[in-house]
Parts: sequence; structure tokens; C-alpha cells
Amino acid sequence: MSRSVAFLSLSAARARRTAPVAAAVVLLVCVPLGRYAAPHPPERTVAAPWTPPGGRHPLGTDVLGRDVLSRVLAGGTQLLTLSLLAAAVAVVCGTALGLAAGWSGGRVARGVRALGDLLLAVPALVLALVLATALPGATAVVVAAVLAGAPLTARVVGTQCAYLRDSGHVHAAVERGESTPAVLVHEVLPNLRRLVAADAGLRLVTALQIAAALAVLGLGPQPPEPDWALMLSENLPGAALNPWALLAPAVPLAGCAWAFAATAGTVAHTPREAV
Amino acid sequence: MTTRTPAVREGAAVPLLAAEQLTVRRAHDGATVLPAVDLEIGDGQVLAVTGTSGAGKTTLLRALLDVLPDGLHRPAGTVRWRGAPVPAGRPARRWRRARCGWLGQDPAADLNPLWRVDRLIGEGFTGDTGARAQRVEALMQQLDLPPVLASRRAGEISGGQAQRVALARSLCADPELLVLDEPTSALDRATADLVAEAVRSRRGVPGRCVVLVTHDTRLAAELADRTLVLAVGPRRSTDAEAAPGPQLPAAPAREPCTATAVRLRSSVPPATSAVPATPAKGPPAPTEAPAPPPTAAAPTTEGASRTVAPAPSPAPVLSTRGLILLTPDGTPLLDAGDLDLPAGGWLAVTGPSGTGKTTLLHALAGRRPPAGGELLLHGHPLPRGTRSRDRRMLRAVQLAGQDTVTELNPAHTAGRSVARPLKVFHGMTGAPGRHRARELLEAVGLSTELSHRRPTELSGGQRRRVVLARALAAGPDVLLLDEPTAGLDPVSARLVLDLLDRLRRSGPAILTVTHDPGTAARADQVLHLTGRRLTPRPPTTPDLSPEQRTEPSGVRQHHG
Repeated sequence: MSRSVAFLSLSAARARRTAPVAAAVVLLVCVPLGRYAAPHPPERTVAAPWTPPGGRHPLGTDVLGRDVLSRVLAGGTQLLTLSLLAAAVAVVCGTALGLAAGWSGGRVARGVRALGDLLLAVPALVLALVLATALPGATAVVVAAVLAGAPLTARVVGTQCAYLRDSGHVHAAVERGESTPAVLVHEVLPNLRRLVAADAGLRLVTALQIAAALAVLGLGPQPPEPDWALMLSENLPGAALNPWALLAPAVPLAGCAWAFAATAGTVAHTPREAV
Repeated sequence: MTTRTPAVREGAAVPLLAAEQLTVRRAHDGATVLPAVDLEIGDGQVLAVTGTSGAGKTTLLRALLDVLPDGLHRPAGTVRWRGAPVPAGRPARRWRRARCGWLGQDPAADLNPLWRVDRLIGEGFTGDTGARAQRVEALMQQLDLPPVLASRRAGEISGGQAQRVALARSLCADPELLVLDEPTSALDRATADLVAEAVRSRRGVPGRCVVLVTHDTRLAAELADRTLVLAVGPRRSTDAEAAPGPQLPAAPAREPCTATAVRLRSSVPPATSAVPATPAKGPPAPTEAPAPPPTAAAPTTEGASRTVAPAPSPAPVLSTRGLILLTPDGTPLLDAGDLDLPAGGWLAVTGPSGTGKTTLLHALAGRRPPAGGELLLHGHPLPRGTRSRDRRMLRAVQLAGQDTVTELNPAHTAGRSVARPLKVFHGMTGAPGRHRARELLEAVGLSTELSHRRPTELSGGQRRRVVLARALAAGPDVLLLDEPTAGLDPVSARLVLDLLDRLRRSGPAILTVTHDPGTAARADQVLHLTGRRLTPRPPTTPDLSPEQRTEPSGVRQHHG
């Protein structure tokens, strides 16, 4: 009996690990291709505004009588691309800064931390709004997400790097005369892998939030374009007539955030043998 | 939890702790890590668990307490406490908390480096503050930990002190079950005796029992009511240590590895000889030591023979003049220490725990530069810090550190760790490098399968030998070894010492810091570090006869 229980718990654990990864992969593949699966052109009025679901419009129509399903299928690409790009840049910059600070300590570490504190003192959304007045919406999202996220990444990476710097294997590498980049790449970075993975999930969710917020405020994609976040603000007035026009874009938006955050968490917690 | 009325105790027939068919497997491929084990410990008894390095001793303890690491699980077997089964999971956790004291194999890694020593020791104590302080003080005194240590943090104490702090911590609540994983591996003889005394005082006490993993046959013989020998047996093909080389004829006879993976041996009578054993043939005579290296008769390894450069001249390879060592907080450890390590020589440094032996090695290796004094390599000045040493100097001085947990990169396999110095110092990459790395691992007694394992999948003794192989890979002129045989079973320890003995005839001079008299006995000269001075050999211990010193089976065998 105990054997079967162990078997069950193992497979359940495996399912918990693989589900988010599978969801993230499916989203990454499907979201850019969704536009081609749309039953109607997403920008054309095809029926009366706020038509409830039914018939040729499984999710009804929106404020201008456009097909909600088509718009949801077509509307995630820019949001997803921007968030992934912003998160990647934030994690790379933050990791590099953190390694520099944690490894050299002293003045460099203090400088990095002061810069980070300064950036963290400004709320990310305010930063994004200010940037959006000067820059195109997409650029503003990326810059704001990097400025808001990289200092956090730098801080956790820097702390852990400073700790690893004192461990025997790093000393041994230094005693072999390895160059600092070689020590960082071979001895330090592999042991930060999980930390960085977990952090990347958080950065992605933050970037997604910033991108969505700017779009909702009308600073991102402009009206005829289908976009999940834009749909939320467009369809809010008709929530009583066709709630699906509001729910349909909200679900994939939340789904993306969950899938990527959970994938990062999975990588961070995978037993070493399985990596 | 500490209540123990006689009424609670069951009849004498029921063992306090029993395990039936305890089995451990790896989760991802189902390989058996620990074949079915039965054990029983009666009231007031001490069970010693011995066996070769990598046989699963630590895994057995973890399986007993249900604290197996990720990736291992216990598919079968029951643990009984006073006859009642202890199911895995939450009941086991409650049982552990209420009944067990646990001392891990790597105490330095187990202790929170930010906690003060007194807080660490007293954490499990349930009485009021005053009683706790008294108990902590008594334990520290019992284990010869100086009172000033109480206010230090765990990150600031030596390896041997950490081990005793961890032991005091596990003893503090007077647990009914005490589980000790190599409690004396980092301790000198006198301190180890204190630990033995602490364990002995629990013997025969009703309602108390001890499980003790040790390689120290003397300790096991003195303390144990029963001995459980774990043998590698059927797993030999996958997990075993490399078969002992032909130079170890006596080994199997002493430590029979039976095909039945595990067997119980009844009580071993206490050892008759309490030889305080030590090192050193009489006065230090370094110059006569280096045996003529000629004729490649000795099976030296290639990397070592390459470094033969300055033939065995009387000139020392490494010397220090007026070396001053301080602890990180500025307490002096060594005033004006002079030592000379001749080519092909073997120098052992012994001394009580916490006197700065590891700091000495770190200073020589450049890891923690000394506060003052001069270092000389082949008669030329050697810069204090690694940053200012050139590659030739770095290669020449190699350190194999004490803490095997942090000494190896957790992300790299054993083979990769060993291959790296080959690439850096000798430009050996790809297949030749991997081949050479496997050769080196085999030379220290690790089978080639182990080269694909990461440190977390290796036992403490196996990790120690990977660290040694990595240091050898550089082809050093001076090998600095910090407790090279701690955590090794006698057979593996002898294999390692024999290897070093062969290597030094044509290769590196060796400087070891050790608590193990058997290791010190291999040295040409023994320096005792105590009272901030390096003095030739310990003044208190008598010499052994030359026969004993030269006997190649030095490691602890004479106690067994």
C-alpha cells in the first residue's frame, strides 16, 4: 500500500511541475497564431453592439459590434512580446549589476544599492506614466519594467553572490588563477540559476501589469487594434449587457501571468537530479 | 517530553528503537540506495554503524528519522519506537522533535552562521532562562568549549568547535534518542575522548539510546553495545567505492564486506590497547625523509611526475619566516611561526581544536593572507594573496579544504570539478581531460561512475576524496591538506594515505593538518600548534616504535 501511495504522490508532484510549463508553452505558441484562427476580422463591425453570446458570435460582440472571440484571439501578441522582452532585459541587467555588486563589494556594491533605492522609491506605474508622455507606449513599458525590476533582481542576486564568494569552491577557483568572469560564469552563476529563475517570474508578472495598465489608460495600443488590456477599458461600460466582452480578455491575461510565474517557480524548485 | 516514569517504560523485551526492512531508493530511477536493514536498540544501549564510505550510513540515519533529502524516498520498512510504529510524515516529525537529538555530518553547514553559540546550544531546552544558561554552560564545559565562545557566532568558530557545539546542541534537551553522524571526525584525540565520555554517560541510562555513525573503530569498540556494519555488497557495480587496489591486501580481512548487504555483529569487547598513539619518529629529521624518487617503479600518476622539477634537494619547497596569524576578529593565533617543508617531505600539523590549523593552511594557500611574516616557495618570496601570485605559484601550492560541503561546486559533477584544474594549468581539455580526471578519481578510490555525480549525491567521504583529486589534478609542488582522512573509513583512508606516500616520492611535498594520529604517523615531522607556537611534535604523547610508525596500515588500525 505504501508503495502505491508513493507512486501516486510522485506522479501528482510531476503533474504539478509539468502543468505550468505546458500552459506557458501553449500560450507562447498559440497567442501569436491566434489572429489566423479568428472567425471574423477583429477590427470590423459584424453585429449590433453588446450582442450577447450565441449563434455566429460565441462570446458576443463589443462596444462597436466587433466579434469578441476574434478580438481575444488576436489581442495578446503585443502584450506578451513586450512583457517577455521587458522581463528578459530586466533580469539580464539586474543579474549583471548584482554580480558586479556582490563580487566586488565595497564602493561598487554601495553604488548599485543607492541607484536601486532611488529607482525603487518611485512607484513603477508613475514611472511608466511619466515615460509614456515622452516615449512611444511600447518603449515606455520596456523601460519602466526594467527600471522597476532590475534593482530588485540586482539586490537578491548581489546578496547571494556575496555569500557564494566566500565558499570553498569559489576560493579554489580563484586559487587556480581563473579570471573573474570565468569564476562568475562557472562557479557563481550555476548556483544562482534557481534564484534567477524564480526572480524572472516575478519580473515578467510586473512587466505584464505595467503593459496592461498603460494599455487600459489608453497609452498603449490605439483603439481599432485588438488588445486584451484595451478591451477591458473599452468594454467596461457594457459589462451588464455582455459581461463576456469583459471576462474573455481578462482570463487569458491572468492565465499568462499565472503560467509564467508558475513556470519560473517550477524551475526554481525542481529537484537537482531532474534538472 | 523529558518525563520518564518507570510506568511508561515497556517490558525489557521491547527494544526502544527498532527498524524492520528499512529500504531507501532514489526517486527518479528507483535505484536502491540502501538495501533492507533491520536494527534494534534496547534501553540504554549504544548502536554503532560502521562501513565503507558511501555505503549509506548517513542515509540510514536519515531514513530512520524520516528526513531523507529530495530525490530519495523510503518505499518500505517500518520504524518502531517503544514498539509502536512511527509513520512517515507528520507523526515522524513530532516524534523527532519530542524524542531525538541529531548531530549531522557537516555541523558547520547545519549551524545557523548568524546565531550565537549559546543560543544554538540552548535552542531545544524547554526550561526557564536561568536553567537553560546553566545547562549550556555545563555542556560547554563538558565538551571543553571555552566560555568566550558562547558569545561568538557560529560562522566564526573552527570546524572542531562547530562539531562540539552541534553535539552540545543535540544533547541539550537530554533527548531519549541521540543520533550522531561522525561526531569526532574533526576532533583531536583528547577532545574526541570528551565526546566519547558524553556518549558513554548515557549508556545504561533507562529510556535513553544512541545511534552512532563512526569510522573510528576504537570509538565504536569502546562505546557500542552492538555494531551494525553496512557493506556495499550487491550495489558494488553501481555505487561502490572503487575496489581497493592490489596494495591493500589486508583490507578485506579486517572489514569483511559480506554479500548480505548488512549484518549485525554482537557486542565487541572494548579495545585492549588505549594507545594514545602518535606520530612522529623522534626528532624531526626532514632531510633524510625524501626517499629516492628514481625509477618509475612507484605507480605515480602522470600529473604528479611532471612536477618533479627541483629534484629532492635539501632546499625546502615551502617555508615560512615569522608567520603571524590572526582570527578574523583580531585574536592572535600564531606568533612568528617558522616552518620548512622539504621536497618530498611530509609535515603534519596537529593541535587542539580552534588553535588556527586551518587558518595556517589558508594563509599558505593565499586564501586568507597572514597578518605578517614571509612565505618562501623554492626559496623565492611568495606573495601573500592569491591575486598577486602568478599562475606558476598558484599551481605549485594547492589546498584541499576541510569543509567538503562548500569546497565543491554544487552545480558541477565530480568529474568536471577535477577536470577544471587540468584545463587551467595543463591545457588538457575534452576527452584527454575527462580521461585524466577519471584516472585521478580512481587513484583516490572513487569508481568512474561517481564522476557523473554532483556533490549532493556523494557521501562525505567521497566528497573529501574528490576535493583531494582536484588538488592533485593541478600537479602541485606543495599539497596542503586539511583533515584529508576525516570521514573516511579505515580502508579508504589507508588508500588515500598510501597514494600520498607514493606521490610525494616524486612529486608534491605534503603539509597536512590532522587530528588523526594515523595520518600524523605517516609524516616525517609533526608540528604541534598550541599556545600560539609551532613546536615539534606534541610534548605529552609518547613516541611509537619505528615499526609502528612505518607500518603502512597506519590509519586507526592499531586501535581496532
